[in-house]
Amino acid sequence: MYIKISNLTKSFKMFKRSAGLKGAFKSFFNRQYTNFHALKNISIEINKGEIVGILGENGAGKTTLIKLMVGLLHPTNGEVIIDGYNPWKRKHDYLKNVAIVMGQKNQLWWDIPASESFLLNKHIYQIEDSKYNETLNELVDLLDVRDKLDVQVRRLSLGERMKMEIIASLLHRPSLVLLDEPTLGLDVISQSKIREFVRYYNSKYNATFIITSHYTKDIQEMCQRVLVLNNGSQIYDGLFNDLIKAINPERRLVFEFSEGTDLKYIDSLDGKFEFQIHDSILTAQLPESQLRELLSKLLEKFSPQSMSFEDLPVEETMRSFFQSPEDYL
Amino acid sequence: MFIFIRKYSAVLKINWIQALEYRANALVGVIAIISGLFIEYQIWSLIFKSQDLTHVNGFSFNELMVFIFLSIIVGQLKSSWHTSGEMIEGIRTGDINKFLIRPISYFWYHFMMFIGVNSLYYTVYSIILFILIALFPGAIFQAPINFIGFIFALIVSIFLSYSIYYIMICLAFWFGEVRSIVVAYNLIMLVLAGQYIPIRLFPDSIIQIMELTPFIYLVDFPVSIATGRIPIDMWLINFFYSVIWCLIIWCLGHFVYSRGIRKYEAYGS
Repeated sequence: MYIKISNLTKSFKMFKRSAGLKGAFKSFFNRQYTNFHALKNISIEINKGEIVGILGENGAGKTTLIKLMVGLLHPTNGEVIIDGYNPWKRKHDYLKNVAIVMGQKNQLWWDIPASESFLLNKHIYQIEDSKYNETLNELVDLLDVRDKLDVQVRRLSLGERMKMEIIASLLHRPSLVLLDEPTLGLDVISQSKIREFVRYYNSKYNATFIITSHYTKDIQEMCQRVLVLNNGSQIYDGLFNDLIKAINPERRLVFEFSEGTDLKYIDSLDGKFEFQIHDSILTAQLPESQLRELLSKLLEKFSPQSMSFEDLPVEETMRSFFQSPEDYL
Repeated sequence: MFIFIRKYSAVLKINWIQALEYRANALVGVIAIISGLFIEYQIWSLIFKSQDLTHVNGFSFNELMVFIFLSIIVGQLKSSWHTSGEMIEGIRTGDINKFLIRPISYFWYHFMMFIGVNSLYYTVYSIILFILIALFPGAIFQAPINFIGFIFALIVSIFLSYSIYYIMICLAFWFGEVRSIVVAYNLIMLVLAGQYIPIRLFPDSIIQIMELTPFIYLVDFPVSIATGRIPIDMWLINFFYSVIWCLIIWCLGHFVYSRGIRKYEAYGS
């Protein structure tokens, strides 16, 4: 097992104070502390080469889990073992095989070109010249930023900066890559480029990816397996498609009748199935089995001009899931 | 060792590149150094002239000027307004994460940054040193051994000073904002380390107390070697004490860091 997380719990001590000057004075002399449980009893095992998405609303504990995996935080209870290492000990041999990209933080030097930061990483990770040049050329071409290498980082667009961050993080060819909101604030083209890149890197180097994202599309396109967190608790660990089916088993059928078709027969189906007809197009949103039954009945009597099955929008499905996850799992 | 040098010299190099990116900032820094020296010169000439003095505590005007100029230079080289501010901010905002996730020592990375940021001043001060030697012959580096001793004492001073800053910076793991502690320390050091008023002008009892602290090795020791105010047979014992202080402060810094990092909550994303 490449990653083994057992009964992991992380609590933070936080102080509370009421708003305003009075609250500030009161808190200065008498600070009230409370314990906030960011993660509760998480257990998960991940194989090498898997791409696992972590889903959850704000404050669910996604970033805390990532930080525990890279060793930025010390667990309150439980254990994280990655490739035989305890991340918290931050052994250089472990860190040489890990990369983390945090969408809201950057590791590049702001006032100088990204190429200088890459060179610094080359020395920090002790990358040989030939391997460095080969990896850099490969990453730069894949992410299409060759002409931006010598531009000061602060002059780059958000998308270009994120691509440079990813390059800086992958120069040493890590076997574990942790991406925390990698597409946050990026335009559609940059988002898709990054998703494409993750799939490529994973298949070429068999690297393990752990990805958190608010965009369900990121997870849908990059990860087969997901871990869902809710208020610090693990509520689902399994295939993304199974989760979607569990949340919303319905699919949509769009059936377009040929011109001049007599639609009288349709009335007989009206009580059995729920559907709508507009301009010779029948639309039905039903569980898969019912949808198939309806389709076979339609095909007995009609030959369609066109027809299609559609999955329901995933974003919408996930939104209703997070409103009350206990209703679905 | 070779890998260590290569790794951390790369940090030093990128700091130079960054420092050279801002030409106006560099120029203002150099002007500030020269202005400080000019003000000290004006104040002490006024004191000597108005009191009609030839010597103060065994210092002639020229000797005192050399001692003070050199003290200001050494004091600046060991100061860490920029690096310490950045490190504290990093702990407070979570920017430190980018160092913790890489196979690099937080202590040595920032030590190189500390050297790198001050590098511009090293160059300017080296030129001023040559001017001092030419203007006040015999008052500074009377023999080559004084120069060699000065360089060694300066290296110890810079390391010791950074290690003291490091302990204060690590307190940010508990308190978040500790820049006021660093500012207070910097102001106290202007006097206690002899950066603006030479310790040699203080009463003997105070000098004896100061000799029991590491602060004497920050400015007074290297400057006294350069100006020949410490007999050569006393160098060895003083070097020994200064290295012991370095070890104590370095170990203490690592202890505070290892405790502090457990408290760290990796704020922000």
